[in-house]
Amino acid sequence: MMWSWISSNEGMIWQETYETAYLGVVSALIGLVISLPLGIVAARWRWVRPPVLTIVNVIYAIPALALFIALIPSLGLTDTNVIVALTAYSLCVITPNVAAGIRAVPPAVRQAATAMGYGPLRRLVTVELPLAIPVIIAGLRVAVVSGISLTSLGQLIGVSSLGFLFIDGLQRSFPTEIWVGLVLVIVLALVCDLVLIGIRRALTPWASRA
Amino acid sequence: MVLVGPSGCGKTTSLRMINRLVEPTSGRVLLDGRDVQQGSAARLRRGIGYVIQQTGLFPHRTVEDNIATVPVLDGWSRARARGRARELLDLVGLDAGLAKRYPHQLSGGQQQRVGVARALAADPPVLLMDEPFSAVDPIVRASLQDELLRLQQKLGKTVVLVTHDIEEAIKVGDLVALFRPHGRIAQVDAPEQLLAAPADDYVSGFVGFDRGIRRLSFLGTDGLALDSQPVLPADATVSKAAATGLPWVLVTDGDGRPRGWVPAHRLSAAPGLTPLGEVPTDGFGHTFTAGVDTLRAALDAAVLSPAGEAVAVDGAGRVTGVLGYDQIRAAIQAAAELTADSAGDLAGDIAGGDSG
Repeated sequence: MMWSWISSNEGMIWQETYETAYLGVVSALIGLVISLPLGIVAARWRWVRPPVLTIVNVIYAIPALALFIALIPSLGLTDTNVIVALTAYSLCVITPNVAAGIRAVPPAVRQAATAMGYGPLRRLVTVELPLAIPVIIAGLRVAVVSGISLTSLGQLIGVSSLGFLFIDGLQRSFPTEIWVGLVLVIVLALVCDLVLIGIRRALTPWASRA
Repeated sequence: MVLVGPSGCGKTTSLRMINRLVEPTSGRVLLDGRDVQQGSAARLRRGIGYVIQQTGLFPHRTVEDNIATVPVLDGWSRARARGRARELLDLVGLDAGLAKRYPHQLSGGQQQRVGVARALAADPPVLLMDEPFSAVDPIVRASLQDELLRLQQKLGKTVVLVTHDIEEAIKVGDLVALFRPHGRIAQVDAPEQLLAAPADDYVSGFVGFDRGIRRLSFLGTDGLALDSQPVLPADATVSKAAATGLPWVLVTDGDGRPRGWVPAHRLSAAPGLTPLGEVPTDGFGHTFTAGVDTLRAALDAAVLSPAGEAVAVDGAGRVTGVLGYDQIRAAIQAAAELTADSAGDLAGDIAGGDSG
């Protein structure tokens, strides 16, 4: 390890860390926004569920690098390219959880809500979605962590992130740079995960602390 | 009104047609003379309280916000709705300190009370209850049933309750509709009539082999011919007791409370001037309060008494007399003649309208 390399490149390291966080978090959030209606529809209409869940699984099976490359003709070598690809992956993780979370609402609770005079939309927004929060956030955690990790691959199409440290370190046979990149990716993923756990606790004060 | 019957008989379906959780394929359900199919289902439901076995409380809302659900849906301010929730907590016998708890922090019985409070929050004239007490233990169930009777008396709601438990139906119902399988009604009657005059073998079978005994729960113990001859104070002498010639005498203490029964053979073994208080007794089982307890309690007291006679006491626990099987039988026969006259009146009023 060459500790001096870290201090002399601090600015660049922070910049790449920020890029990584930005790409990972933004794509997970866009994924969440698209997943909510998809998951709701899949939970509500039985016949929609199999096709939606199959399609997101197929998308998830596409290798990340292949997806980046496939998007180059339309989106070029840009941040947008990486964000679109990572959003597609986060979608695959979050949508099934939205559907599962809503379906896991106890039938008695749903029936009681209906019997007290909730319309379907109001019931969804004020009863079913709040109760699905823990499961939805569990999906979001996986999406954010895997998104941050996949961001490195964007470097292969020239989109800057901590992935730069891997490729640069490899080309220069300079392990320090690779180690720094690795540690930062892991720390970043852990921090985001902890933030999401905190958000879940704040949003679900009723849930036991287990 | 209690709907009772075996599982799959359609009692829950019937209940759910009232608030349109199930829509009838034919026929109409009239509520206050109006077809429930007219108008919006959501509006209809806000005017009908609904309590279910699994409580259906919202896990993500505090007790007070659960109770305030319908008022908030009706557009009340949150503060006013919460104020109402506190009133209801008190009404159903729960401590105001539970208001900020979440449902999973309560016991099953407490959750069920919250469920009742929530159903009553908007003061609906009608309350539907689907097996409300089936998931709690027998002791809690009995207290919830008593509570329901108390609330019913206080609030005067129309309650439609579904149960598979005929005991519960007989205890809480003013009217009981007994279902056959496949949604047919076997008999609609006041519970005592159901026990006294079952319409057919199905009804008597469902009501149970001890329906005769259970019917005694509807007969009072006022005006019974109590016998005070065997009752003697502790300071009376053995020879006085023996002089009655009775097989058993009941010894009372200085306050007139029962001490226990003494058999005649034990009296003859003791010296004549011994006070009765010094003779060992065989106890007295339990007492019944004349005019308060039912004939069923009196009969039970007689069965458990060593002398085969029930000890009647007043409100202060003082013995007012004893009651043997002969007097109990006479009381049952007198009651049977009375009810035979009124049998069928109620059934005639209800038949045909199985919706209300």
